[in-house]
Amino acid sequence: MKALSRTPHLSVLLFTGGCVALLMAASLLAQPGPAGKPGPAAQQTQKLTASAIQLERIVQPDDLLIPEDTRVSMYENVILQLIKTRKFQHVYRSGDRTAADAPDLVVLHLIPEAFKPGSQKEREVITVAGATSIKVKVQFTSREGKVLLEKDVVGKVRFYGENLRATYDLAKKVSGLVNESF
Amino acid sequence: MKTRCTQITPAVSCTRCELVRRSLRLGGLLVFGVGLVITATAAPSFSRQSATSQNLASSSIPDVKCVIGLENIKPGAKGTLTSLPTGLEFTAGKKNADIATSSIQDVFTGRESRQDVSGMGGTLVEAAIPYGGGRVVSLFSHKVDVLAVEYVDSNGGFHGAIFVLSAGKATEFKNQLVAHGAKVSTHVEAPEPKEQNQ
Repeated sequence: MKALSRTPHLSVLLFTGGCVALLMAASLLAQPGPAGKPGPAAQQTQKLTASAIQLERIVQPDDLLIPEDTRVSMYENVILQLIKTRKFQHVYRSGDRTAADAPDLVVLHLIPEAFKPGSQKEREVITVAGATSIKVKVQFTSREGKVLLEKDVVGKVRFYGENLRATYDLAKKVSGLVNESF
Repeated sequence: MKTRCTQITPAVSCTRCELVRRSLRLGGLLVFGVGLVITATAAPSFSRQSATSQNLASSSIPDVKCVIGLENIKPGAKGTLTSLPTGLEFTAGKKNADIATSSIQDVFTGRESRQDVSGMGGTLVEAAIPYGGGRVVSLFSHKVDVLAVEYVDSNGGFHGAIFVLSAGKATEFKNQLVAHGAKVSTHVEAPEPKEQNQ
């Protein structure tokens, strides 16, 4: 009878001890690292601040052929999505002279890295084939050209929709990145 | 003699008069006929000249889809695209947007393939056909022309507008814009989508 009553006490003790150990480990991990060297988690959560953003023209790399309508659609969709985020007071277009007066301006560059044209017919008939995809390096820089944030983003249209819908998907992902980072 | 002369002269003069009248009538008819023929042959060329001058002045293409890029126009709106000496105009219902010729930086044309049955309704119809028969509907497609216009606003901000036109009309429209003074650079042709190669 005594042995039976001891067993639950022991298990409660063990459980409490385990919880304490876990809490200690969590608190140790949550502590900031040495000054000047932020850890990877801290770097991700660090937010950028800017009242205005300017999207630069998408320049076609020499080794990559992207249709002009795709580039234009990408640019315009990203402009629309940037406005929708409401993170900035002004969204300037490339070449806008009034951007020179903006006090804290961030410049957004979209550098195409890969493009697969795909086919709407193949997508809808075969389903698993014909996806259109665009891979772009999204780069936020200061006015002086200092890189503040850089990330690769892929826009895709897999099943239904026209090829240009991949640019809409890409723009949505860029706006998601802006929401995370600003 | 006198009496003879007086007797003969009126008769001779009458026949002469009639001959002159007849020849005049014939000549008149001939001139009229020739004039008619010349007019008939010349008329089409004159009308052609006026038509070409009208084409240069302005031309509009109905049922054009503005995919994106025009101020005040919702993406995907359908309307009429007009080429004017002053620039380009797109009208969708009561709303219209224009791009001045001087602000056009470049014009691109391309060709794509669009499904005959598309959109939300088309997708539902395809899904409703049993045994995956909707995929057969997806095989039916038509070719369209894509027109991309790059332009700048009054502040120098870069814009791009994309239009989808019926096949074979984009190049003609681009040529009209160029004739009106729009800037165009030489382009590297992108590979055509897979459907067109088959």
